[in-house]
Amino acid sequence: MSFKNYKDKIEEGDTVILYLSNNLYALDVQRMIKNKKGEMVENVFQTPFGALKVKNLIGADYGSRVELSKGWGHVLQPTPELWSLTLPHRTQIIYTPDISMIMLQLDLVPGSVVIEAGTGSGSLTHALIRRVRPHGHVYTFDFHEHRAKVASEEFQAHGIAEFVTAQHRDVLSDGFGDDLKGKADAVFLDLPSPWLGVPHAVAAMKEEGGRFCSFSPCIEQVQRTCLALQEHGFEELTTMEVLQTELKVTRRTVPVRDLSFLRHKSSEKPVEEKPSGDTTFVVGAWPPSTPGHTGYLTVATLPPLFARSKKVSKPECSLEEQDSPENGDKMAVVGTEDNN
Amino acid sequence: MAKEVISVGDFIVLQKQNYKKLLKFNKPSLSVTVGRDTINLNGIEGCPYFSTFKVISTGGKKNREFILELTNEVVNLKDEIDIKTSGNDNRNIIDDGRSQKLTAAEIEDLKVDSNKASDIVETLITNSNTFHRKTEFSQDKYLRKKEKKYFEFITILRPNLRIITEVMYKLDPGKIQGIRIDTLSQIVTLANIYSEGNYLLYDSGSNGLVAASIMSAIGQKSNGKLIHMHPGNMSQKQALLAMNFKEEQLNRCISVNVYSALRQFYQGCDANENSNIESNSLKRKADEDSEHKNKIAKLEDTSDTTDSTLEKVVDISDSKPEPKKPKWHFDNIAAAALLHQKVDALVIACKEDPKNIFTELVEFVKPGRPFVIYYNVAEPLQQLYLLLKSHSNVAALKLTCNWMRNYQVLPERTHPEVTMNSASGFLLTGYVLK
Repeated sequence: MSFKNYKDKIEEGDTVILYLSNNLYALDVQRMIKNKKGEMVENVFQTPFGALKVKNLIGADYGSRVELSKGWGHVLQPTPELWSLTLPHRTQIIYTPDISMIMLQLDLVPGSVVIEAGTGSGSLTHALIRRVRPHGHVYTFDFHEHRAKVASEEFQAHGIAEFVTAQHRDVLSDGFGDDLKGKADAVFLDLPSPWLGVPHAVAAMKEEGGRFCSFSPCIEQVQRTCLALQEHGFEELTTMEVLQTELKVTRRTVPVRDLSFLRHKSSEKPVEEKPSGDTTFVVGAWPPSTPGHTGYLTVATLPPLFARSKKVSKPECSLEEQDSPENGDKMAVVGTEDNN
Repeated sequence: MAKEVISVGDFIVLQKQNYKKLLKFNKPSLSVTVGRDTINLNGIEGCPYFSTFKVISTGGKKNREFILELTNEVVNLKDEIDIKTSGNDNRNIIDDGRSQKLTAAEIEDLKVDSNKASDIVETLITNSNTFHRKTEFSQDKYLRKKEKKYFEFITILRPNLRIITEVMYKLDPGKIQGIRIDTLSQIVTLANIYSEGNYLLYDSGSNGLVAASIMSAIGQKSNGKLIHMHPGNMSQKQALLAMNFKEEQLNRCISVNVYSALRQFYQGCDANENSNIESNSLKRKADEDSEHKNKIAKLEDTSDTTDSTLEKVVDISDSKPEPKKPKWHFDNIAAAALLHQKVDALVIACKEDPKNIFTELVEFVKPGRPFVIYYNVAEPLQQLYLLLKSHSNVAALKLTCNWMRNYQVLPERTHPEVTMNSASGFLLTGYVLK
């Protein structure tokens, strides 16, 4: 129940983040847990620095130090950012750099109504809930029944269920439902064929219009999504990539090699022909290997209803979208004409 | 949540294709300059946001003056102009400067005489020797370029954080400490800003952008509050005001001078009693004011508003010793009271060495809460990183920077955009320990 508001002390039922020498672990504060045989036993969390009796955390202050048999750690209250780093992966997840950009690009503020598909492991969902609460709401969908159920239970356990509705639904074939027609300020899609979700997004958005964002790992998905967005009256299409790098900061002592003495004849010879001292820099080194791609973010604006169809534009290339939405040769239409 | 119609007093965004301009709509017949043109905004008042207007010339050749007329139909050049033939490649196109038969003077006349952009471009194409031999892609690119030049429509948008960030960064990244949109978005998430709680910001020069982004995440009709500390006499509020927050929301951003607020906290009074120093500091304040005004005047977008608020405050502080206490006095008291309760996050976006500012202000942060320090180069944050590592009163310390690239997505022509903004700035983040 520790995801809603900040609190000072750890209570039973909280999820806490254990910070141990640059490693983060999420753990549920329960006195007893079931062991493999199904018996209730005392909850002991094993860490590289020794065992932690979880019941000892109850009543401790967030941000305080916990003693372990071979060292110590600190307990933090989970934020959506810490949760993204520690949550149990049920799918590939979206991380904080993309999450932050998605929220800014979707113009989300407290009070916004936002639709998310699919829910996945709930990494983005936690951040969306934090941003739109207390007056707003997150509607999140996943076509995987078990995932939708687990996510729903998780929001309950985290004390944030009042701000979110998690449903099992294949939104690409069934849309977001009649209840959400004209209700959303923003729609976010992280789906294999986001372009099929574009008409459903239009139906779900408010008359005042809204923002759309799609997260896709492949550029082909982006191209098809952009065509669908244009066709359905979206404007200001932008596609971007956001990556974050962590710098390793160290104090580095490096030798100084003096060469200037070589200009003059000198009695001392090979003794000088080696580094003559040290100097120290504080350096931020780039990691030798770093994530080079997460996904493309494609964002667009749906104008308010009164302004929507005023741009009488022919689509870039004529698509038979209605007939064959799966037509993979769509991108080639222009190319073939060009070769004529 | 949007206020639907354009009203006098609002900050508005004027959009012409990819160009956006942020301004205060402070009188119904406001004239603004867009490029070399002067456009009178008479008639936009009362129209819903996202309305589009046709730009109509009123003057002759020399004075490029225009008025606006509400329209329901935006015509794209490409739809107006029918291209009959295209070439396969550019092997037969020679740049000899003679492909356009019209002279520069003739084109100028054409611009004055034609009332439709498509007429101008159509004439240009008809008189071009090479246009019809260009490839379809090349023709498309040409039309896009011309459309940018002759586009006749303007849309009025309601500013929000995304648009304000984009406009201010494009105008001059130096005026917002180079805080790029991705980095800004991360400041707000990494500091875990939400509708509840009290937050502390020290900002010495982002024109209110960081405060605007935090207030936006705190939201309207919520309990969250922000103490916005700044080193000058007046806080920079341009972006904050441009958000068009309601009184209720804007009042929860308490802007205070860092010296006065901390003096109030530690000493119980916000003014230095020593009269000698007082007169000195007044002199300093006056200097800062004029400097501040100069800076603001250059920022064409909001010069009048910021100036007028500035004047008001200067009037108050210059008034006779006794009369009722100025607003900033009560702001200092309110800020000090919040600092006694301690805050839920600390955000620093400064031009000074962040070390002392951080070590002083981190005292006000509750244990377990996050902090985020922005700096536009890495070195000061690297120094601070090592210092904090040695103190071990913070956890999960991280120094990060960002990389962002935009893409042109067109059928058969998808590629990264040719220019990218490569300076993201750096963030030092972590959690305060007990």
